Amino acid sequence: MTHKVIKVKDNDVVGSTNDFLRNLLSSGKIQALLVPQNTPSKKVAFPVLISDPKKFHADIVAPILPASTATIVSKMTKVQPPSKPIGVVMRSCQIRALIELVKLNQASLTNIVIIGVDCPGTFPINTYTEFPEKKTPTQFLLEAWTKKSDEAEKYFRSACRVCKDPIPTNADIILGFYGADIEKEIIVEAHSEVGKNILKELPLEDEEEWKSREKAVKELREEKAKKRAVFLKEKEGLKGIDKVSEFFDKCVNCHNCRQACPICYCKECLFDSSVFDAEAYKFLRRAEIKGLFKMPNDALLFQLGRMNHMILSCVECGLCEQACPNNIPLMDVFIPAAENAQKEFDYQPGKDIKEKIPMIVYREDEFLEVGEK
Amino acid sequence: MSEEKKDHKKEDFEPKIVGFLCNWCSYAGADLAGTSRIQYPPNVRIIRVMCSGSVDSMYILRALLEGADGVFVGGCHPGDCHYIDGNYKARRRMVLLENILGTLGLEKERVWLRWISASEGQKFADTMKEMTEAVRKLGPSPIAKHWNL
Ligand code: SF4
Ligand code: SF4
Ligand code: SF4
Ligand code: FES
Repeated sequence: MTHKVIKVKDNDVVGSTNDFLRNLLSSGKIQALLVPQNTPSKKVAFPVLISDPKKFHADIVAPILPASTATIVSKMTKVQPPSKPIGVVMRSCQIRALIELVKLNQASLTNIVIIGVDCPGTFPINTYTEFPEKKTPTQFLLEAWTKKSDEAEKYFRSACRVCKDPIPTNADIILGFYGADIEKEIIVEAHSEVGKNILKELPLEDEEEWKSREKAVKELREEKAKKRAVFLKEKEGLKGIDKVSEFFDKCVNCHNCRQACPICYCKECLFDSSVFDAEAYKFLRRAEIKGLFKMPNDALLFQLGRMNHMILSCVECGLCEQACPNNIPLMDVFIPAAENAQKEFDYQPGKDIKEKIPMIVYREDEFLEVGEK
Repeated sequence: MSEEKKDHKKEDFEPKIVGFLCNWCSYAGADLAGTSRIQYPPNVRIIRVMCSGSVDSMYILRALLEGADGVFVGGCHPGDCHYIDGNYKARRRMVLLENILGTLGLEKERVWLRWISASEGQKFADTMKEMTEAVRKLGPSPIAKHWNL
């Protein structure tokens, strides 16, 4: 691993990381960068694909994840990957999702340089755009961070509060805030040969090793694990058809959650297909069986069916919840479901690109009690 | 409801079971049970599928949500799948489905997977008896009559 440091000038974290990224772009080592940048209104930050260093005004701290970066990389690489390297700045959950999409043959890492950024958490889109504090979300977050206060916590999306791991894995380069005194410095690490070669040629100071980072990362992971355990405990009560049906009461079966999900890549989702078209008499027969049923129908079938299709790869990014027009706190069921299912198959999505997704492989000598008895 | 009344209700109740049977094994097994005149409860509604591996969890869920008290999936014995490994995949899918139903407390005991070959007419009949009794004991599925789904 290569250890370097970005010196922060005038307490300007965003400006200093931008200098680094601009240098990277100008170096010719990569032909373009996918990076979050504020839209002209400054109300919201979106990933932009940028090739002109002069137009570069990114904000990698901006606490917002408007759409899945993994899906964007999939769109850019699925038909034909780039012929020269592109740098993609991503949060840890999105790197995990990208690894899953590669396993699902929906994305390629050819000439993709993953630049992972430590993620303190993100705000829901509408909180970000109508931020109630007197500062910008980025300023607010950075200040809370330097003060080591948890003021920002209340604004975070629920998925972020109980994030599995805010530290990127499987990145070529990591920009690290944890373990650094961010008023002065930001940690840069190369985690692959590609990353090493890129860093070699950039004007960065070497650092022996980031002992402070190791400790900070360990502490952060422990703290998150604790919060996660509390969350899982709290949600244990959500059991039984009465509670589950009440939980999805407001679901209008719009499938926005699936649309926003990086893992649900199917061109034509089964739940949008003609399988669900039926003659009137079939609807009536269903009404007869139960006496009545709610319309639009099949909302719970969609939720449970979708879960069965993708939960083993769910990276708990919470984009489904953010996309729900009716504010259904989807993570309350998706996190426990992902936790239990992934444990059952001893599978961690996004961890190892060589490991196959559990539903396409099997062992003859496993789960022997299922099917026998 | 008193225990007594509840039990009374359970005894009266005829469970509705939907069975997805593989064409090459369990379906032929059911056929054999029929032609050999082996008696089994009429509670199962059989749907023929080409392989247990072709039963997407969605179909099992749909049956449960639309009124079935139990769902049965019958496949070829491990190693005997006509399409080589469909049943191994069905087994993984069943493990996942049970896991998810478990997380949400949705009575995973109502979903069964069993291996029954074309020559096992007796095993098919016995399994249907076993399942019908087990589901009768569980009582009517609370999902079956739920309309807010
Ligand atoms: S189900 Fe939700 S949390 Fe899981 S990967 Fe999809 S969008 Fe993210
Ligand atoms: S719910 Fe299933 S069919 Fe629909 S997009 Fe997701 S994985 Fe594909
Ligand atoms: S986005 Fe919300 S309302 Fe729409 S299908 Fe998903 S959970 Fe239901
Ligand atoms: S053909 Fe019978 S289970 Fe695959």
